[in-house]
Amino acid sequence: MVPNSTTKKQTPQEAGDDDISMSRPPASHQQPIGEEDASMADVEEEYEEGDEDDEEVAEEETQRVRLLPGSSPNAASFEFLDEGHTLGNALRYIIMKNPDVEFCAYAIPHPSEAKMNVRIQTYEGTTAIQALEKGLRDIQDLCDVVTDKFLDAKLQFLEDAKA
Amino acid sequence: MDYDPMAMDDVESLGPVVKISQADSVRVKFELSNVEMPFANSLRRVMLAEIPTIAIDLVQIEENSSVLADEFIAHRLGLVPLHAEGIESLLYSRDCDCDEYCEHCSVKLSLHAKCTGDENMQVVARDMIPVGDRINQVLGSPVITDSEGQGPLLLKLRPGQEIKLTCIAKKGIAKEHAKWAPTSAIGYEYDPHNKLHHMDMWYETDAKTEWPPSEYADWEEPPAEGEPFDFDAVPDRFYFNVETAGNLPPDVIVNEGIKVLQQKLAGLIHELAEGEGEANGYDGPRSPEYNGGGEGWQDQGYTTPYGGGNQSSYGGAGGTTPYGTTTPYGAGQNSW
Repeated sequence: MVPNSTTKKQTPQEAGDDDISMSRPPASHQQPIGEEDASMADVEEEYEEGDEDDEEVAEEETQRVRLLPGSSPNAASFEFLDEGHTLGNALRYIIMKNPDVEFCAYAIPHPSEAKMNVRIQTYEGTTAIQALEKGLRDIQDLCDVVTDKFLDAKLQFLEDAKA
Repeated sequence: MDYDPMAMDDVESLGPVVKISQADSVRVKFELSNVEMPFANSLRRVMLAEIPTIAIDLVQIEENSSVLADEFIAHRLGLVPLHAEGIESLLYSRDCDCDEYCEHCSVKLSLHAKCTGDENMQVVARDMIPVGDRINQVLGSPVITDSEGQGPLLLKLRPGQEIKLTCIAKKGIAKEHAKWAPTSAIGYEYDPHNKLHHMDMWYETDAKTEWPPSEYADWEEPPAEGEPFDFDAVPDRFYFNVETAGNLPPDVIVNEGIKVLQQKLAGLIHELAEGEGEANGYDGPRSPEYNGGGEGWQDQGYTTPYGGGNQSSYGGAGGTTPYGTTTPYGAGQNSW
């Protein structure tokens, strides 16, 4: 057993530095069969870990946004799972409004894969991740305002209907 | 960052404006202005496809001597609108702890009809009786809006024919199957005078006389005679007409739509925040083997013999191999 795995509570993310990088091994060996088949050593250890590991696997499955390889702080590509034009276009637009962002675009690489990619390139002073997060928050704020405005409009309409 | 994401590019930055022009139990017509098309379209798409409602998903047929095939009837039953009030307290069946379905993730409806008279008999949605515990007294009941109080016609029985079945209604969204759609239609239009030339009107002799004006044509200034085309113009007034299928009131659909959009965003923000807690969010393509490689890690995705430039990163494949040193990708592979 590796020392870190004896601490049951640790998730891969919280584990030491070595483990973090190892949690992202090179790609090819694991494609497409998946991690389970990559190494028997791994499999055995997972069984020793028991329930904790099952939870980790479940968390891993629900990870819906990830950074694509080849990204640097100022220029990054993100891959969203189970998102489409609904989020993509609004996000692209709102990120592009950020003056610290040099470029933002989105694509759905293949229509039969539920994946959406967003490319963000920023000027110095902010990072692509920050720009993405700001974009998400900006749409949230926009949603808040529209919710309020719709409620106001509804009350106004009801008042007008009475009069 | 001193800019207002809600501000329009033009001078009057008032933020979004909503004006309701008509509202009743079936539809709400409103104008959403001072927003950009991507947002208006997101709202439209989310209302169409991603608001959770309830619809019949499983049908257990005990007796069917009608002329219609079992699966034909099951399909028709799926399309019957059911009241979705209180749907937020209902679990998705896939998230529920139960084996197949239970009262926390479904509503059971039973239908038993036999034609005992000597005339053909109509079986309607009203004949479906919710059985068992429910979250509230309306969730899952068929929507009945006609004046006779019958609801949609399900099938007809000849004398002597019988139908007996149990329906399991589950929560879902229209992205999976249109039977979960809360709306029967959403009207969405902008630029009634086609000033932006987004439409190319077909005509015999004159488009102006042959095409009826939009009902919103009076709301906006028609283009002046000989007005030059404005290449910078963008649409900023959107006319929605949200028409419910009966399962949710129309204004609730709008609110729910925004809510779903926000939940989507909140989930992603949450995930991003988690990711930032890691030592280095950008070490996707980097792994111990690569660090010794001497090359800039940005290249790795394309040039390594691992070949999977489009894979490996950000927790993707890595989650189950946190036990670094025992993996086959040991330190010995630095040369890769």
